[in-house]
Amino acid sequence: MRRYIIKRLLYTLLIAWGVLTITFVLLRLSPSSPADKYLLNLTARGQDISQVIASIEARYGLNRPIHEQYFQYVGSLVRGDWGWSLSTSMPVLELLGRHWVYSFQLILLATIVAVFLGILIGVYSAVRQYSRADYIATFFSFVGIALPNFWLGIMLILIFSVKLGWFKTYYDTALPILSLDNLKALVLPVLTLSTGMMAGYTRYTRSATLDNLRKDFVLFARSKGVPERTVILRHVLRNAMLPIVTIIMFDLGSIVFGGAYLTEIIFGIPGLGRISFNAVFAQDYPVVVAVTLIGALVVLLVNLITDVLYTYLDPRIRYD
Amino acid sequence: MKSLVSRLGGRRHATALGLLLLLGAVGLAQGWLGLTLLPPLAFFYAFLGVLMLLYGAMPLYTNRRLTAHYWRRTRRNRLAVAGLWFIVFLVLLAVIGPFFTQSPTRVNFPEKNLPPLGFTISQSTFDLSAGQFIAKETPGVWEHPLGTDDKGRDMLAMLVSGAGVSLQVGLLATGLAVFLGAVLGVTSAYAGGWVDNALMRFTDIMMTFPFFLLLIFIVFLYGASLTLIIVVIGLTGWTGTARLVRSEALSLRTREFVLAARALGASPARVIFRHLIPNVMSPIIVIATLSIPGIILAESALSFVGLGDPSVASWGRVLNAGQQTLDTAWWVAVEPGVLLFFTVLAFNFLGDGLRDAFDPRTEV
Repeated sequence: MRRYIIKRLLYTLLIAWGVLTITFVLLRLSPSSPADKYLLNLTARGQDISQVIASIEARYGLNRPIHEQYFQYVGSLVRGDWGWSLSTSMPVLELLGRHWVYSFQLILLATIVAVFLGILIGVYSAVRQYSRADYIATFFSFVGIALPNFWLGIMLILIFSVKLGWFKTYYDTALPILSLDNLKALVLPVLTLSTGMMAGYTRYTRSATLDNLRKDFVLFARSKGVPERTVILRHVLRNAMLPIVTIIMFDLGSIVFGGAYLTEIIFGIPGLGRISFNAVFAQDYPVVVAVTLIGALVVLLVNLITDVLYTYLDPRIRYD
Repeated sequence: MKSLVSRLGGRRHATALGLLLLLGAVGLAQGWLGLTLLPPLAFFYAFLGVLMLLYGAMPLYTNRRLTAHYWRRTRRNRLAVAGLWFIVFLVLLAVIGPFFTQSPTRVNFPEKNLPPLGFTISQSTFDLSAGQFIAKETPGVWEHPLGTDDKGRDMLAMLVSGAGVSLQVGLLATGLAVFLGAVLGVTSAYAGGWVDNALMRFTDIMMTFPFFLLLIFIVFLYGASLTLIIVVIGLTGWTGTARLVRSEALSLRTREFVLAARALGASPARVIFRHLIPNVMSPIIVIATLSIPGIILAESALSFVGLGDPSVASWGRVLNAGQQTLDTAWWVAVEPGVLLFFTVLAFNFLGDGLRDAFDPRTEV
């Protein structure tokens, strides 16, 4: 087990190195160099360019051979020197550190809602297969999967904020994170983000539960008189969890800069997605690079956790 | 020549290879000599056309009994058929529609914020004779059946134009991504060893980037145009196909008919083209159909956040404009989303239907 984890860690490092290399190649192939974007930013703020050209070139080593640039790029990232944000004038990591909590609360709440309801509805509709409830659940899960979440967000704003006036159309950043008002402000964003996930989890749970309901050990458990409730929770659901956990973890890795990104933009939540969105339009080069790298690293970390989690969920899986 | 053709496993693959090489040569000539023989998008159409004709239409035409069999199985799934009809409708809309609608970019302020037919809204307009703002009932008019936006642009025209954009991106980028994925997957499975290892590690690295974020990163670096967006989605979206095709091909590789072919002295090219590729075609078609909606959504999301091609009216851009005018003109945000929703649903249903039809184990 320990050997497996060490191997898996080394592999993660290899992939992380690949990620750094690919971003470097993309950056170098880009027709506009970092200096251009720096200069654009500085001229926009009315600074004299000629003074800073030399310092930028020295800072990024743009006149040095390509392999030295590569080592400098990887080296400074590994040392934790991710540069300064141009549009906000603070270190990139500090900027992201201030804003990650907004993304985190949104993703955490949405995931909890989606996982809880998705599994509940999925199991129920599998146990009552072909019942009216099952058809309704299946219908809504198809709808939920096909609903573009950025459009859903706008429709929720249109109905609940503009027409009914129950919620504000924009997220209020002045609210303290741990307060009821903040929770209320998050209702629509969480609904927006969790609908698609929930629909997906419902479908996966339903099919995984149905697969396991037909297994011999379920028949055996029932025939020895185990209460139906226990059969479903202990025998069926536990075995059905593995594919469901895979999907949940996959979503968790990709959602930060996927669904949450768009949700933050629609509702004006100042999380990582919104930061990266602003950075793109402000031509804030270091922040865009940092966000892309962090997005990839989050996926790597989640994949690592998933693989280790498997061995606990299903003791039959051994990686030696 | 003859032996080369037979080694490639029939004339179909040789033709495909030849045409693709020709296409590449034209592209290179264009790049080096600075000629403009074809507009960039035409390359993708030609590429997709070659693939669809030789690997879609031709096998279906030559094996008519099989075609009829698959069609019977697909037809039994009513949702899949409905999805197919919707897609046909959308294609017709995108191809024929522009001839009948007004220009999607024509701004006409006197006719701004007209609701769709059958709706009447009350809005305040500046009355020149009275010299003040007055509340006026504004009904929908026949000239703009789906209404107009806050600049008086015709919604129907913008949606028709957006249908073209979405379908172009969806089909062309999927074609490119699935082609790359299939080539890499089959190569990886057949070559094995360090080639397989290297290709799969590269796939892992590409999969580590969240798709949408990578898209934004590249558009940020290289600028936004429809061609670039198609290329980028094509070059980054192949990972799922590559994995699927690899695993399918791996399981086929040890099957008896492949072993028999190899024992009879078939060359690797013949095994790949004659035995592996035809047998992975159905999962490829299914995954292609099912990945179209994701790609259409990605393009819409990109346009929605303002990073799409600024020269075309895509659904995402209309939706973005609609969010700004939610309180005065709700339909601008509602209509493109409804179309987007049904498009995604249609491709999902069709993909599910095809998967069941191609899988001999399922009872349809």
